[in-house]
Amino acid sequence: MKRRRTGATDLSVRLGPLSLKNPVVAASGTFGYGQEFLPYLKLADLGGFVTKGLSLRPRRGNAPPRTCETPSGMLNAIGLANVGVEAFLDEKLPALRGCGTAIIANVFGETQEEYVAVARRLNGAPDLHAIELNLSCPNTEKGGIAFGVSPPVIREVVAAVRRAAPGLPLIVKLTPNITDIAVAGRAARDGGADILSLVNTFLGMAVDLRTRRPVLDNVVGGLSGPAIKPLALYMVQRVYREVGLPIMGMGGISGAEDALEFMMAGSSAVQVGTANFFDPTASVRMVRDIDAWCRRERVLAVRDLTGSLQYPHGGPPAPCAV
Amino acid sequence: MPFDTPATVVRHQALNRDHFLLTLESSAIARAAAAGQFVMLQTRAGTDPLLRRPMSIFRVLPDRRARLQILYKVVGAGTRYLSSQPAGSRLLTLGPLGNGFQLPPVSTQPILVSGGIGIAIFPFLVETLARKRRRPPILVYGARSKDDLVALDFFRARRLTMRLATEDGSAGARGLVTRLLEPLLAGRAGSRKPELFVCGPTPMLKAVAAMAVRAGVPCQLALESQMPCGIGVCLGCVVGCPGDDQGPVFRRVCTEGPIFRAGEVML
Repeated sequence: MKRRRTGATDLSVRLGPLSLKNPVVAASGTFGYGQEFLPYLKLADLGGFVTKGLSLRPRRGNAPPRTCETPSGMLNAIGLANVGVEAFLDEKLPALRGCGTAIIANVFGETQEEYVAVARRLNGAPDLHAIELNLSCPNTEKGGIAFGVSPPVIREVVAAVRRAAPGLPLIVKLTPNITDIAVAGRAARDGGADILSLVNTFLGMAVDLRTRRPVLDNVVGGLSGPAIKPLALYMVQRVYREVGLPIMGMGGISGAEDALEFMMAGSSAVQVGTANFFDPTASVRMVRDIDAWCRRERVLAVRDLTGSLQYPHGGPPAPCAV
Repeated sequence: MPFDTPATVVRHQALNRDHFLLTLESSAIARAAAAGQFVMLQTRAGTDPLLRRPMSIFRVLPDRRARLQILYKVVGAGTRYLSSQPAGSRLLTLGPLGNGFQLPPVSTQPILVSGGIGIAIFPFLVETLARKRRRPPILVYGARSKDDLVALDFFRARRLTMRLATEDGSAGARGLVTRLLEPLLAGRAGSRKPELFVCGPTPMLKAVAAMAVRAGVPCQLALESQMPCGIGVCLGCVVGCPGDDQGPVFRRVCTEGPIFRAGEVML
């Protein structure tokens, strides 16, 4: 690892075809369409941000209650509410012109055709730096099973999107709700993904003892926040060793120390999600604090931290050995 | 324009076993705030509780170092931690947020309808109405029991007409606020056109909104919701609103609200 005594840290990172000015990216579904955070931060201080997931047509989402706080975490079942890809291109994206950060559009569909149609619409959009596929959406053609739990389905939808949007770096966001996330990562790689982002939320639920009903109207929701950090960190470490694509790690990252741990475990960049809810300036403060840590530790370039984890016995244990 | 700042606890008063009045020093938020708006307030440092709590602004204290007050009831872990924050502690506070009340026309008779801790939103409105030369409002205030009728001193000191009710009959009329409201709406509060400003539990909002719609009286409802972010990005706090043949549309309580007109929302 390169070290030097003084001077600014090189915070820039490169993930395959995608270059970012720093490794901190705001995660999909926690950052709106970017504009919402202008009262609190300069978008140009971020490495990038990922939009709310976009579908072909606008979606209204689930009935409330949609969220529930849990110990050091929260459940959400928003139901993929969004303005739709046309309104994004007509209204949201033009408003971001010159914002000085990488804009990544999150894409989902209920069918493979919908993924392809949204990606095709985004291909060539000015100022768009990459697309991120959300594979946690239920596949209506396969009985509502999420795309991301079936390796052949992952490979197929990734390959189809790859063809539909050849001009854009393709990030594939993996669901952790699968026996071995490395298998999903390999399927995405084989389909043509440039970058993997992981993890999406863990399925969970909460019960209201008083009413004897599930708290969420949707019954099931996705768990996020610091509660999932060790789970996510393990999965990042595993995918880093097993797949060989650049990684955007996420899962409960709330401060610079969390981000640095994810980088050591194999992330080239990190995504900040739930922290944006309880601390709207968490992402930009993380950039400053990562810089300060690197100076203190005399790390010349933050990218050198990726995968720098020192294993006690020369390598990680097999997946099930505890 | 909202601000996200650490606010210092200047004073933290227990009004009774579970009601507290918190005074925070945050001049930026206090100066920008309008009646009916709220702040997202950290209850303690760390990640458990993870989320800040949406809190109505009770009052903005008019002095040079503008302070704001928050009245709250301990209902769970978050508010319990909050209640143990001593003077001098600093709590991350984000606000002012939300749309706030629309002031009624000068000739209108404002009627404030409060259920339980819903009273926390009204002192700021009372002071704003006075400053903007609106008619002094009538307060209709119901709670479970005498101890839950908090902040009465504020309204007494301003000599507002009050109609009180408790479910157990320990103070005021026995029963719900709707019983007190009926004659006011029937009599049209003298000869003046009334407008209702309502805050309280959802069943009360629903009942009062229905009465207002029936009587053709304008009515602003202050909604509560589970609210993770407060700034319109998580889409968690939505309320169903009349939509079309594809079902309801959802609006964010934090951003399109927390104040909605009766009839705009499906409670």
